[in-house]
Amino acid sequence: MENKVFKIALAGNPNCGKTTIFNRLTGTRQHVGNYPGVTVERKTGFCRIGDFRAEIIDLPGIYSLASSSPEEKVAFQELLNDEIDLILNVIDAGNAQRNMYLTTQLTELDIPMLLAFNMIDDAEKQGLVFDFGKLEQFFGAPIVTTVGSSGQGIDELKNAIAEIRNNPSPQRPVKPKYGPKTDQAIRSLTAGIAALNLPETRRIPARYFAIKVLEDDPEICARPDLEPFRREAEQWRRQIAARNGINSRTLMADVRYGVIAGACREAITISNDRRRQLSDVIDKYVTNRFLGVPIFLVMMYLVFQFTFTLGQFPMDYLEAFFGWLGESVTAVWPAGEAEFLRKLIVDGIIGGVGGVLVFLPNILFLFLAIAILEGTGYMARAAFVMDGFMHMFGLHGKSFIPMLIGFGCSVPAVLATRTIDNESDRRTTIMVVPFISCGARLPIYSMLIPAFFALKYQALVMWILYLIGIIVALGCALVLKSTIFKGEGEVFVMELPPYRLPTLRSILILMWEKTSLYLQKAGTLILLASIILFVISTFPEKSNFSQDYDAAISAVQDSTLTESEKNAAVSRLEAQRKGEALEYSIAGRIGRGLETVMKPIGFDWKVSSALIGAFAAKELFVAQLGILYSVDDPEAEEGTLRQVLQESYTPLQGFCIMLFCLLTVPCIATMAVVRRESNSWRFMFGQILLFTVIAYTITLIVFQTGSILKIGTTISEPAESTVAVETSGNGLAG
Amino acid sequence: MSNNVISSSLEDYLEAIAEIIETKGHAHTKDIADRLQVKMPSVTNALQALSVRGLINYQSHSPVVLTSRGAEMAAVIRHRHSALKSFFSGLLKLEETEADETACRIEHVISETVLSRMVVLIEAISGREDCAPLRDFLATTMPRIGTEVAEEELANVIPLNELPIGQSAVVVQVDENLRGVKKFADLGLVPGTLLQVEGHAPFGGLLRIKVMGSSLSLRSRDAAFISVKLT
Repeated sequence: MENKVFKIALAGNPNCGKTTIFNRLTGTRQHVGNYPGVTVERKTGFCRIGDFRAEIIDLPGIYSLASSSPEEKVAFQELLNDEIDLILNVIDAGNAQRNMYLTTQLTELDIPMLLAFNMIDDAEKQGLVFDFGKLEQFFGAPIVTTVGSSGQGIDELKNAIAEIRNNPSPQRPVKPKYGPKTDQAIRSLTAGIAALNLPETRRIPARYFAIKVLEDDPEICARPDLEPFRREAEQWRRQIAARNGINSRTLMADVRYGVIAGACREAITISNDRRRQLSDVIDKYVTNRFLGVPIFLVMMYLVFQFTFTLGQFPMDYLEAFFGWLGESVTAVWPAGEAEFLRKLIVDGIIGGVGGVLVFLPNILFLFLAIAILEGTGYMARAAFVMDGFMHMFGLHGKSFIPMLIGFGCSVPAVLATRTIDNESDRRTTIMVVPFISCGARLPIYSMLIPAFFALKYQALVMWILYLIGIIVALGCALVLKSTIFKGEGEVFVMELPPYRLPTLRSILILMWEKTSLYLQKAGTLILLASIILFVISTFPEKSNFSQDYDAAISAVQDSTLTESEKNAAVSRLEAQRKGEALEYSIAGRIGRGLETVMKPIGFDWKVSSALIGAFAAKELFVAQLGILYSVDDPEAEEGTLRQVLQESYTPLQGFCIMLFCLLTVPCIATMAVVRRESNSWRFMFGQILLFTVIAYTITLIVFQTGSILKIGTTISEPAESTVAVETSGNGLAG
Repeated sequence: MSNNVISSSLEDYLEAIAEIIETKGHAHTKDIADRLQVKMPSVTNALQALSVRGLINYQSHSPVVLTSRGAEMAAVIRHRHSALKSFFSGLLKLEETEADETACRIEHVISETVLSRMVVLIEAISGREDCAPLRDFLATTMPRIGTEVAEEELANVIPLNELPIGQSAVVVQVDENLRGVKKFADLGLVPGTLLQVEGHAPFGGLLRIKVMGSSLSLRSRDAAFISVKLT
């Protein structure tokens, strides 16, 4: 007894302040994971109360213990399988009637209960007066009043927990009476089920299962051992429904709300008329038919700016730091000594870690923004406002936010899909969001567009590319939603919680939680993939080049050229060497091998090889192409690379390269978070397949049509390469 | 033309005579007139017609006596009447007098075949074990239909998606065919719940309602399955 951890399950409706109570009890001693097979988070934490340690399991927020959503299923499984010693049921005191619906179901489990009437201050302001003595009697469980945001009542809560823990035979909750006919049905079914002696009924009473069978709960009724009772339950349902004149499918909900209404009449009174709440006033404008959308767009603009513009500063520092780190290692580690290890550490590992951390500022800021949006309650409004629009494409209102974030970067965009509760909506959004043209594709456009298009068409081409991304994303969503992600009878019903001021503490905890999850799960995968990509674009190493570059470089150094001419010649030689090395590497060979496949879409082996390298990060495409065309520093020598490209490809090819870059699998980091968020390798590989097929098909159509119609098929005359597009524009790179 | 067929009003007389004889032992013209609420001369005319058909023996100032054919026919008529009456009162749950009057009006136009099939139905519903739920259902549903109050209620019942903004209403019924009906029920959308429409979403399609102190949004398409009564 002394050593056994006291297990407390924290249960409650969504938006009842459960997480705040959880944070209050556990502080930062939390562990966040996932339930197997679903994307529902499993949070546990420890709390020291007096002389013992309690493990607190934060169940997902649920309205009912049915099995109509993944949250409800895992919550029930947790209560069934884990040896829970106490259920701490958090109730939003301001909305007690609805919240107690779950409470009546929890009492059926016959596990000692403790009720926390949370946000009691708000409820009292609304003029609600509670007779807690009566309610305690009604549920057979002690009640503590709390205010999660200020910590009021938390000590009392701990004391109440200690009291129950120290009681050798704690009070069991009172099972509600549902009316003569219903109780008769429950008794009859209970007797039958108890006779089966199921292993589960040792912990959870047979009566609970009887009620579930009577309710025709799909999960419970699917059990073969309970199958025989379905017929009897069906008969009882018809009788009860007839007697009470109610719907037989929602019979238990009806009788439960009936019971609760009775309890509320006796124990809760309203001392004054509920004042018009501030929340309703705000909503008059925020969810207004006309103002709703503009307000939403302003909010989204702020979130976008916050995530990417503000995130840019630390990102620049991080990039600079990893650049410096790589250089320092190169400096202290003499070339030639354990060359492989040196390259692996400098280019592979440091580069890879840099690649993981470079997203960190964006993710931190994004989740800070999301935490604020969710904490205040605006998120639900945003979904409400945008749902009609997104629904046209089979998506949820909340899908809009990831789509928007997608213009910045697909990695946080995929992470932002966490706010979508509905699994099939969420998966659809994850699937299509990388089609949205992210900031990392911008350097590709800014390099290629000026090379192939006259100034007056440049903006138009850019606009067309972004538009294609949006159209393909929404089109795919529509197709996916009506085929493989067809909602399995899910319904849309969403609560709009009253506006609240979130506590700094809960925002920071949420932000930290999500970010550390990203680092743990996606980070490791990104690192691994970066190293693999490094290896395939470095090895096998070429030892005999077409010319002796070292000799040529020293020849240049010793020549009589001016310093700047020397530097230019040296870097040209270095670039040529790199180009040869890349061509010789696995990536280069794959690129060559793909030539026959890529020819119909107008790509030569250089473009293909560069695409492989660009899988590490889209903006690397330009760098890789630069290496292959022996232009050492493509950013510095933008004009040079542009000119080379202009001379090598037709405008049609140029457009097709950009089109393919837009539509193909974005980058390993995105794939890693997709794997993590979908919790499935199959999903990730399915997405790679989808993107590859779509990118190839669309590019093929465009290239072949263009070739036949002879649109942009002539290599243009070397033009003034001074036409420049804002390369740094918007500052969204990454 | 078979002389078995007599007019519906004569059937009523025959039936009345049989019933009076049964309760009082003998039937006078006055009793018959009282019972059917008609004037004496009408009774006399009818009795003469029945007598001509050999269904009764009738002489002025003495009680009416049924002939054996008359007694037989009266029994058939009465059986028909009581079967119909039990249909109206037992299954359709009509008030006693209304059931009686309706049976009177219908019994003359109904064929023997229809009647006997109806009798089978009545006996099945009111006797068979497996019809118990149906009996329960009839007992609760029938009395509510057609009463004046219900009619008035019905006029105020509209689908939730047509409820004007700001108007309070009580849920009266949620259609079983509503997708996810259980989920809506879990959230408090069960008969008897008070709610209010708070507004519509900008692009249409979504409705926002206040239920038990919380705001819910749902599709108007789904809301059409929920009937509410204005308060």
